[in-house]
Amino acid sequence: MDGDPTISTQGLTRRFGELVAVDGIDLNVAPGQFFGFLGPNGAGKSTTIKMLTGLLAPSSGRIEILGLDLEKHPVEVKRQIGVVPEGMALFGRLTGSEFLNFAGRMYGLDRETAAKRSAELLDFMQLADQPKKLVTDYSHGMQKKLAMAAAVIHGPKVLFLDEPFEGIDAIAAGTLKTMLQGMIARGATIFLTSHVLEIVERLCSHVAIIHQGKLVANGSLEELRAGVEAQAPVAFASGALAPGEKMTLEQIFLRTVGGSRHGDQELSWL
Amino acid sequence: MEELSSTTHRNGQLAAIAWVRWRLFANALRSSRGVLELISCIFISLGFVIGGLGGGLFMAAMASFFISQGKPGMLAVLFWVVFVFWQLFPIMATAFTNNPDASDLLRFPLNYRSYFLVRMAYGAFDPVTVLVGLWSFGILAGVGFARPALLPWTLLVLLVFAVFNLLFMQMTFAWVERWLAQRRTREIMGVLFVLLMLSFQLIGPLAGRFGKHARPDMQRVVEALAPVQGILPPGLAGDAIAQAVLSRFIVGLSSLALLCAFALIIGYFLHVRLLAQYRGENLSEVAAPSTLPKDQSLRPGWNLPGLPAPVAAVFEKECLYRLRSGPMLLTLIMPIFVLVVFRLGPLSSSRAIFGRTPDMAFPSAVTYTLLILTNLAYNNFGGDAGGIQFFYASPVRFREIVLAKNLAHAVVLAIETALAWIAVSLLYRAPALDVTVAALAGLLFAAPVNFSAGNLLSLYSPKKLDFSSFGRQRASQTTVLISFGVQIVVVGVGVTIFWMAKYFGNFWIATVILLLLAGISLSGYVLILNRIDGIALARRETLVAELCRA
Repeated sequence: MDGDPTISTQGLTRRFGELVAVDGIDLNVAPGQFFGFLGPNGAGKSTTIKMLTGLLAPSSGRIEILGLDLEKHPVEVKRQIGVVPEGMALFGRLTGSEFLNFAGRMYGLDRETAAKRSAELLDFMQLADQPKKLVTDYSHGMQKKLAMAAAVIHGPKVLFLDEPFEGIDAIAAGTLKTMLQGMIARGATIFLTSHVLEIVERLCSHVAIIHQGKLVANGSLEELRAGVEAQAPVAFASGALAPGEKMTLEQIFLRTVGGSRHGDQELSWL
Repeated sequence: MEELSSTTHRNGQLAAIAWVRWRLFANALRSSRGVLELISCIFISLGFVIGGLGGGLFMAAMASFFISQGKPGMLAVLFWVVFVFWQLFPIMATAFTNNPDASDLLRFPLNYRSYFLVRMAYGAFDPVTVLVGLWSFGILAGVGFARPALLPWTLLVLLVFAVFNLLFMQMTFAWVERWLAQRRTREIMGVLFVLLMLSFQLIGPLAGRFGKHARPDMQRVVEALAPVQGILPPGLAGDAIAQAVLSRFIVGLSSLALLCAFALIIGYFLHVRLLAQYRGENLSEVAAPSTLPKDQSLRPGWNLPGLPAPVAAVFEKECLYRLRSGPMLLTLIMPIFVLVVFRLGPLSSSRAIFGRTPDMAFPSAVTYTLLILTNLAYNNFGGDAGGIQFFYASPVRFREIVLAKNLAHAVVLAIETALAWIAVSLLYRAPALDVTVAALAGLLFAAPVNFSAGNLLSLYSPKKLDFSSFGRQRASQTTVLISFGVQIVVVGVGVTIFWMAKYFGNFWIATVILLLLAGISLSGYVLILNRIDGIALARRETLVAELCRA
């Protein structure tokens, strides 16, 4: 990896009683990377992203964002990052414009800049046509776009997104993708979790897979492919893939975490 | 057969709802916080039981006394007390009420009858219902003691009266929630409330205008009102028993029939509201037309010179939340409303509240204002719900966020104090300068104590609140209990100091002592505020888990 990583963890661990949700993760995300963090349900994705953004204290381990220790410099780190957490972190009784204004000022923008950027973001996200509507009355997709707008209003260097494409329509997803690609082009680093593997495959330059709290794969898509092919050449020999055909991220993911569809089981009553 | 199956199905659903509520309660005990909540709940319930038993004994004694003295007509007074308390208590002390959102159940194939029954059952399990239930039992015991033969009849009347009250409470909540949900109806209600307040204020000047003739006039008013109250539900309930005491059973039966008719009418209005909810109405604000000028969204946040940007932003957000919460606004108006109610009796009467000591009206109103604010100040993050994650993710120290929230509370307190001063001036007389200053000094002492305790409890015992719903703004039981203790101490100190000052005939003594205490409480406040960041970080999992829960 060239230069210092933007996101770096060493031995990151989180326990909930007996359960080890995240188990000694060492992770490095380089500047400008679009990093996809994948895993089955309950693997520890959201727990990891919460720890990386200061929403959850690690049981042990170390987190550095932009070279700053998160535990020692939480405010300095948060000033430079944007977050869309699992619950979206919105204030329902504000209008969209008021919420973005509020977010901008919380991130240190002056009133005029916050207002200007709020208007631009609402316009970009196609949320500007109902200025008096309260956030609580927004649809799920609208709330997602608003949460995204609030996360980027201060122009963060690093953006953490937990399932940003969950429950939104194709138009909204297109808008978000355009914005995220624009940020990457301008040198930002994006760390996202998603279950929509097609989107991750299309957007992300690097992917890590977490399973039962442990990091089981990490690298560029080509590196992951090579790793899986080296471990399971049988699949290729058996003709599961046509000659010259590349494994999709979904196939890599399923082979890595050992997923099976339980196709032989039936729900007779259904 | 189909009907039987439908009934079985409905019974199964109701049993499932009861079971799930039990499991929610039992599962909550798995955490230490849950156990603490249970202990607090037991203490609070004890308080209610004591209040209920005390009130019940009083009711029993009065009912027996009225009948034995040949004044059964006076039983109506007891029913009016029960009625007023039953309807007003849930509004005045929302922290004690527990009305979960039954509309959450609408996702399931619940038929309308079951939904109606669940709403009624939720209302019946309110602490206030237990309290007034004990009072009603007191009436039953009192009548039964004086006339044992009337026990079944009294029981029947009390049951119908209880059903009426349950329906009326649920109907009031349902309709007020409906009216407060939208800007236009909220404004209309606000205007109506102000008009009501103004009309109350006319009582004093009118009584004064008639001077010495006021007493006979008042007597005539009371005489004119007596038959009116007699045809209203509490009066009818009292009359149904009174007529039976006088062996006029047909008249008593007609009173009970009229009471049933009232219950049916109220039930119908509740049915209209619940049916709309059942069919899936949307109570949100009507979306504004999209033709609004575009630069509306360019409006910058409030300019609050002297405040750091994050503090100003949180302060603005808090103020907007208050202004958009109809139920919260109504709660905040209660101190003035109570002053008006207290003023309804003749000022010169020694039996009237503040009749002998009108000077104490302002300090009392200020105290009540502080009590009303408890629900907000002791659960700072309750209304933020998922927004708590935003606070944790933002580069702002928690002490700034908490300071901004406390400033918003302080502004509410200041506005309410000013309104209370004006109301006292209009309803009684302008509070004397020394009393005003002493009361303000008391506020300077009490507010930081409450804010400090509130800030800690907001982090240690958070509870998600719904500012848009009426009667569902309950703090955690632990918070209720501890805040109650803090208020007893603070108010006790204040009352002792005021009593001492009154004894020496010099309220400036109270001002000096209270200002000294204010210095101490302010220092304590700053000390705790400086530790808030550490506590907030240590408590982040609890806060996020509690406030982000669906």
